[in-house]
Amino acid sequence: MNISASILEIAVVLLGVVIMLADLWTPPKYKSWLGVGSAAGLLLILAGSFFLQVNEPIQAFGGMYVLDAFALFFKRFFIVATMLVLLISVEYSKKFQSGSGEYFSLSLFALSGMMFAASANHFALLFVSLELITITFYILTSFLRHQIISLEAGIKYLILGALSSAFLLYGIALVYGATGTMQFDALRAQSANMVQSPLLLVGLLMILAGLGFKIAAFPFQIWAPDVYQGSPNSTTAFLAVGSKAAGFALLMRLLMSAVPDVALSWEPLLMGMAAITILYGNLCALPQRNLKRLLGYSSIAHAGYLMMGVAAMSLNGSGAILYYLSGYLFTVIAAFLVIILVMQHTGAEDIIQLAQLHQRAPGLAGMLALSMVSLAGIPPLAGFFGKFLLLRAVLEQASVHTAYYGLVAVAVIGVVISLVYYFGIIRTIYWEKQQLVADEIHVSPISRVVLWVCAVLMIYLGILPNRLMEAASTAVESLKF
Amino acid sequence: MEALLFYLFASLTLICGLLVVANPLTRNPVTSAMFLVLTIVSMAGLFVLLHAFFLAAVQVMVYAGAVIVLFLFVIMLLDIKSVEQKGFNPLSLFMGLLGLLAVGGMVIQSILRSNVGQGLKPQLEGATKELGVELFTHYVLAFEIMGVLLLVGMMGVILLSKKDLK
Repeated sequence: MNISASILEIAVVLLGVVIMLADLWTPPKYKSWLGVGSAAGLLLILAGSFFLQVNEPIQAFGGMYVLDAFALFFKRFFIVATMLVLLISVEYSKKFQSGSGEYFSLSLFALSGMMFAASANHFALLFVSLELITITFYILTSFLRHQIISLEAGIKYLILGALSSAFLLYGIALVYGATGTMQFDALRAQSANMVQSPLLLVGLLMILAGLGFKIAAFPFQIWAPDVYQGSPNSTTAFLAVGSKAAGFALLMRLLMSAVPDVALSWEPLLMGMAAITILYGNLCALPQRNLKRLLGYSSIAHAGYLMMGVAAMSLNGSGAILYYLSGYLFTVIAAFLVIILVMQHTGAEDIIQLAQLHQRAPGLAGMLALSMVSLAGIPPLAGFFGKFLLLRAVLEQASVHTAYYGLVAVAVIGVVISLVYYFGIIRTIYWEKQQLVADEIHVSPISRVVLWVCAVLMIYLGILPNRLMEAASTAVESLKF
Repeated sequence: MEALLFYLFASLTLICGLLVVANPLTRNPVTSAMFLVLTIVSMAGLFVLLHAFFLAAVQVMVYAGAVIVLFLFVIMLLDIKSVEQKGFNPLSLFMGLLGLLAVGGMVIQSILRSNVGQGLKPQLEGATKELGVELFTHYVLAFEIMGVLLLVGMMGVILLSKKDLK
């Protein structure tokens, strides 16, 4: 047993426990400092992760846990995501009538689940870490328990999440029944000559359904708009970046490391899923007037773009996913922080609330416009380069299967549709005539720092993508695809 | 003999499971909870047939014994006599049946076509000692994560149910 391989997760769980205990002795006035403290702790853990050497994949706990470049990339991604989410939830926690300390420690426990998921090399670990993420999110989504809409979001997420867990478990049982193993390396050897086994295929299909729920890909996207709309803003941001990325980490490891032969024969299925998800997300986002609901549908569309990378079944496609997720992270965090700041005093998040924002708070208006432009995929921002990499990876595969041309066409159509609603938001910010009773907008120093970090990284990743691209391509090489 | 018992327990599980959610005679939630007990007990019977004795005992003690008793307490404290029968939306009924047919057909087809139970017959070691050894050696990581999960669950229950948190 090689416990030291999972040192980062252990540190995160300990940090969560420390924050939970510190909450007991912290007077209510200073509770928001717990959030800052946990973000600082995560910064230390992130720095510590650079001392880990993963030239060779390290296996631990009987092959259940693997630490390789891919896992380490995702662990760092999750740590950065949670750090930013913690900082924006410091801003948001004024809305919680109680329990903001618990909110921070629960976020840390969710993070530990995501980090375990990045290293899962065995169905038992996959399931347990996924449950840790999902069950924590049931609580985080219904955290505004005095608001009926938040409770509704929690119930909806709970019921559909339980259903998808049931599918996942049944699928795992069928795969185990067909192959006699739950460990991914053994499964890789076993599944190579079982591509036609119906039991294995049905099992994997059900696992795909369970993971599809996490990433909100069609036809398992039904929960996303309601849950995104009802949850506290910081949870919505966490769902959009953390939970979705964990789903993709597991999906990529499962399809490419554990059952590559089956995955190759599933290219048409994955392509279809990607195409329908893109169209569904973008078309449904068009008529939305609620900003969070709109971002919920747009996150479905982004899940579709990311699925294109999975459907490409190539190292370039996987690398593009990693890049895209990183760009998406900073964009979404920036957008949600602006929403939190602007809509602090109003209950509803109607887009019209943003009218004349450029006069009230030019910096925030510019920031939201920047993130919308990045989400839409306009050069030179991170969102553009991510989409470019994904489309290039798909086009490279077109020689294998001509249907990839169709997928590219669908993606381009999706991007064009998405321009309509992203620029609708920008139009409201700058050119909407309607005057509102405007609240004073106060931007705390922490939010200022987060906004600057996100803006700089959004532009940096768009203009100088080399460093991250290299990191992403070394990460996906360890998938052994 | 074993096959006979299997079919007995399996059909009991299915019938009682159906009666939990769709009892044509009564809409009383207490009846549903009692059928849930029967479902769980017959599933414990299936575990015994698989030589998973510990799981069978835990199934009866924890689920039938503790969880359902809590369910009953909640139902009786809230004093729910019967739940209103909502009319079925024909479209959702149709979609539900379609989904059932699709998933069920897929599973049954795949099981029929793959010679289940012909080849390897692993002897399950389901006694307490073997299970404990497995849990604390091969599956220790998953076991520890379950500990974190329980902590999260506890925090969640307190957060969502306590009247005033400070």
